[in-house]
Amino acid sequence: MLILAIDTALDACAAGVLDTSSASVIAQQSLAMKRGHAEALVPLIAQVMAQSGVDYAALDRIAVTTGPGSFTGLRVGLSAARGIGLAADKPVVGLSTLAAYAAPLVSDNVGAPIIAAIDARHDHLYYQVIAGDGTTLLRPRVAPLDEVFDALEHGAPRLVGNAAALLAQRWPADAPPPLSVLDAPAPDIAWVGWLGAAVSPGSAPARPFYLRAPDAKPQSSPLRFAPQPPA
Amino acid sequence: MLRRASKAQVCRQTQGLNLAIDTASLVLGIETTCDETAAAVIERGSDGRGRILSNIVHSQIEDHAPYGGVVPEIAARAHVDLLDGVIARAMRQADVGFVQLSGVAAAAGPGLIGGVIVGLTTAKAITLVHGTPLIAVNHLEAHALTPRLTHALPFPYCLFLASGGHTQIVAVLGVGDYVRLGTTVDDAMGEAFDKVAKMLGLPYPGGPQVERAAETGDPERFAFPRPMLGRPDANFSLSGLKTAVRNEASRLEPLERQDVCDLCAGFQAAVLETIIDRLDVGLTQFAERFGPPQALVAAGGVASNQAIRGALQTAADRAGTEFIIPPPKLCTDNGAMIAWAGAERLALGLTDPLETAPRARWLLDANVTTPAKFANTRAGF
Repeated sequence: MLILAIDTALDACAAGVLDTSSASVIAQQSLAMKRGHAEALVPLIAQVMAQSGVDYAALDRIAVTTGPGSFTGLRVGLSAARGIGLAADKPVVGLSTLAAYAAPLVSDNVGAPIIAAIDARHDHLYYQVIAGDGTTLLRPRVAPLDEVFDALEHGAPRLVGNAAALLAQRWPADAPPPLSVLDAPAPDIAWVGWLGAAVSPGSAPARPFYLRAPDAKPQSSPLRFAPQPPA
Repeated sequence: MLRRASKAQVCRQTQGLNLAIDTASLVLGIETTCDETAAAVIERGSDGRGRILSNIVHSQIEDHAPYGGVVPEIAARAHVDLLDGVIARAMRQADVGFVQLSGVAAAAGPGLIGGVIVGLTTAKAITLVHGTPLIAVNHLEAHALTPRLTHALPFPYCLFLASGGHTQIVAVLGVGDYVRLGTTVDDAMGEAFDKVAKMLGLPYPGGPQVERAAETGDPERFAFPRPMLGRPDANFSLSGLKTAVRNEASRLEPLERQDVCDLCAGFQAAVLETIIDRLDVGLTQFAERFGPPQALVAAGGVASNQAIRGALQTAADRAGTEFIIPPPKLCTDNGAMIAWAGAERLALGLTDPLETAPRARWLLDANVTTPAKFANTRAGF
């Protein structure tokens, strides 16, 4: 299976072309960036596709990260992935950034639980707890950082994500320390591709995974109105 | 002024040459700058005439109604959910395959940046697959060029654009050659209508509600200010008028239904008088600088207000020019206008690179002359 993988949900702009039959990454590029994904992504995809020598028609599917992460960033990736999927008539699958972070640790098969954590600002995290075998122990959520420590009942974990170092720093003294801390600004684009190959398109829709409602409240007029006579 | 006129002439001459040699084109247009998710396919013949093959508009009004206005994050979320489906429908209805397209045009601004990013990125991605040219269209330019699609109107003409985000009087001299004669210094006209409606407890979108309430109101009960009246420039200001309505409304609390109608009628009457006065100035300036316009053209959602149409007709009559208004579906935001502007630019060889930045702000005058590195600054509309 030939896969185009795309990730712009966090602090990187990344694309890769992978071939599952040879278990190889044919071409990949990842640029560290906090903003500017909308300008950088499509030229980057063009470059990676050209390097790979793979034609859009030869792709089997497109895999893209859906969040949680930057709302704008994840929409850049999804727009590009779905645009290519539409024009090339290829299926597009979506993966969460948390799953993409955790994937290489699951693959290591050490067995300890994994906490994938992403900075959600204002002392909040997006996080998910995953068993060593890859099953979910705690579904993805957004919560105050300290709530993560409630998940320690599953034993000393391995930490991964762009908030892994932050989490380790705040680790309670009376808790079993984390077995490992893997802090990275974004998931490895190759793992976005491998996960994308593994999921079935029906169960992994390429839709945004915000974990947060839009910050807007319904408003009414501050003026007072005379009661309306019944019609 | 002389320099401007000669530039316009050169541009028109260039277009004349291109009209003779360019061939028919098929262009997909994508519009996501505010609260309409829209896509369309148009054909532009070698004679420069346009034909709409499909024009799909998905309005997000219901998503924003509870908030009394467009919420940028809600709009951006809706665009990414809807856009590829809307494009697929437009392509199906036009019976056109992506490989047949001569170009893909997207509104690259000005507008709500979250939506612009979705539309422009999707357009770029589509162009990748078949090596199709990308045309990054200024949303305002698309409004400005619409009468060439609907009425095959020759240059030069005067555009009055009034919507929830824009209020401008523009001299349209050629493709990419625009001179902004007047603009709002504060609120957009549609925004003022929506805000007045919101404060008076009328549902969103407020423009049509204010118009309806005004029908049974007394426009002379309140002496609202006529902002900018008699000023030598052609600019608008609507914020003070809005505040005057709010002050009057607070004084009347609790508001009776008739109060609301009278406030709406008074507000609308002030807007009408302002429009006629501002267009008098704008159309006079136009004639002095560029000769008589071919027509006064209306665009934007505000032009669906019948009383405002009447004011525009009056302004055109006073200036001795024709008044043209495209059909309602092409006055408000739509993909056909983006596709058409894209086709007009494509015919002149104007295409854009994949690095093109989405722009929240993008002056229409600066369409051709502003280098990309300055394009994303806070220069205002």
